[in-house]
Amino acid sequence: MTKTRHATRAGLAALAMALATSVAMADTVVLTAYSGIFQENYVKAVVEPFMKANPDITVEFYGMPNSAQMLGTLRAQASAPQIDIAIMDVSVAKAATDEGIFAPMDESVTKHLADLYPQAKAEGVNAVGVTFDNLVLLYNTDKVKTVPTSWNALWDAQYAKQVSIPAVPDIQGTTFTIITDKMAGGTNYIESVEAGINRLAELAPLVQTWEPRPDVYQPISSGTAAIGIGWNARAQVYADLSDGKLGVVLPEEGSGFQINVIGLVKGGPASDSAKKFIDYALSPEAQAAFTEQMFYAPTNSKAAALISEKALSRTAAGAMDKMIDINWLEVAKIRDAITEQWRRRVIPLSR
Amino acid sequence: MSAVPTTTPVPAAPRQWRDGELAVLLLLPIALINAIGFILPVLNLARYSFNKSRVGGGIEAVFTWENWAGLLSDPFYLELVFNSVWISLAITLTTLVVSYPIALYLHRASGAWRTFLTVLVISPLLTSAVVRTYGWIAILVDDGPVVGAIKALGLPAPSLMFNIKGVFIGLTEILMPYMILALMAGFGRLDPRVEEAARTLGATPSRTFMKVILPLTLPGIALGCLLCFVLAVSSFITPKLMGGGRVFLLATEIYDQAIVTLNWPLASTLSILVLIVFGAALWAYSAVLRRLD
Repeated sequence: MTKTRHATRAGLAALAMALATSVAMADTVVLTAYSGIFQENYVKAVVEPFMKANPDITVEFYGMPNSAQMLGTLRAQASAPQIDIAIMDVSVAKAATDEGIFAPMDESVTKHLADLYPQAKAEGVNAVGVTFDNLVLLYNTDKVKTVPTSWNALWDAQYAKQVSIPAVPDIQGTTFTIITDKMAGGTNYIESVEAGINRLAELAPLVQTWEPRPDVYQPISSGTAAIGIGWNARAQVYADLSDGKLGVVLPEEGSGFQINVIGLVKGGPASDSAKKFIDYALSPEAQAAFTEQMFYAPTNSKAAALISEKALSRTAAGAMDKMIDINWLEVAKIRDAITEQWRRRVIPLSR
Repeated sequence: MSAVPTTTPVPAAPRQWRDGELAVLLLLPIALINAIGFILPVLNLARYSFNKSRVGGGIEAVFTWENWAGLLSDPFYLELVFNSVWISLAITLTTLVVSYPIALYLHRASGAWRTFLTVLVISPLLTSAVVRTYGWIAILVDDGPVVGAIKALGLPAPSLMFNIKGVFIGLTEILMPYMILALMAGFGRLDPRVEEAARTLGATPSRTFMKVILPLTLPGIALGCLLCFVLAVSSFITPKLMGGGRVFLLATEIYDQAIVTLNWPLASTLSILVLIVFGAALWAYSAVLRRLD
């Protein structure tokens, strides 16, 4: 009899423990975003300060190499989500929204919506911009003696077979196509990128690789390639780590933005704490801290005032008037056509 | 001594398995694992190939032949299949030619020397293909040692990296251990006495090789070729790293469609197509084996 009572008591205690654990678990927010250098810096600049301010919430950063894998994982978990928040590319977030993965993003999630730049809000996407990045010109300081100021440096014959370009379907290639098109006299990239493609065909014979690995920054830092294109934020961080070997320039013709958005997963396990984190991530303080840390331009218009001049000058914030307004949701519709043009008319010329 | 008839006690009869019963029982676990881990995902993949892809990576769960029709009518994809098959065949053949003498030598070696050489042959498998590929990049780039040596000889130096040549060299080296092991496994039928007999009867070394050694090692050759062809068609890291974005193959295209463009239905269609190519290779292999028997 006593034994049974003991057993019951032990069982109840175990049950209570399990319940307590699951209650505690509810305060663990799982955030998925890019792994590697992004993760390192985002955790330092945003996640850790958030957890310090909210000791009852733990943010678990689940890093993945790209937005596509994030979407794949979110799809697989659609019936029982384990992830609360995703930071991913805006065009992938559109697909996720269409599939009902993200909960609506409104004032109940964050009070900062009104302060975000208009580019941070895309119609039909249940997620808002959390970082702005832009394409830049990269060069190896040993191989390129005069600091280039124009994208045209890529076409300079002295760097033949030393040019590193991440080709389409990578969106660095897509952004580059739009910039080139504008430089070559194109007026509406949604209608046609013909002028850009013709100009890219001239670049093709000079290209060393269309598929720089592990990314475009390493081969240029090490001198395997002399010049190329890449994203500003990563380039700035790698430039600091390269002992001055990697040079980064925002060319005078301007550039185009890449937008990472933050979205709340519908039915995620830690909904309330997750909303709290999203609100924090979009706040001027967090935005400013991440710009200082990794040179992504802020999406909150009130953040700029908090950022040092030095950090701000390494983003596109000072050159907003020169930036091409790329509508990524429209570009998604013509992406296959651009890829086809590259494959038929550009890449074959480099063989 | 006369034989004394003895009666040995008859042991209790063990449980008799009916024909096939034991086989089914033994095959059940692996069949189950295969069904869950392979058949189901492949069926799922086949189903995906009939879904419709939306702009930006969305998937619409409908039933459409669009992906298949698109694939079969677009010359780019037909070229992709053709390229993948001929490049893989050429790599397989090259791997065979360079591996055969090594395998034959290893088969004839004995003792510690043989063990040492075998370990040497297998050791590349202990390093990841990614690491070896990066090694090749360092060796074959335009300012690397190989191109440098060719230039030093006063010859026109070809570009060996970030093009089809790089993929060819890299994959051949990566596949060699597999080919050598498959060949050695198939060399079991090669009895040295048969070779000796051929030589005693006056056959020249080349005739002995063509008429005796080669026919006897054909099963090993067929096995090695099947293995290397399948590995070559499905390899994507080496073409991705060494092809410089100029070499379009089935495996790299599946990666791009699945991971970059997010067109999962098209990626699934291409994957099923690769499976069909594998089926054809397997059919050719069994046809060769039947002929040999």
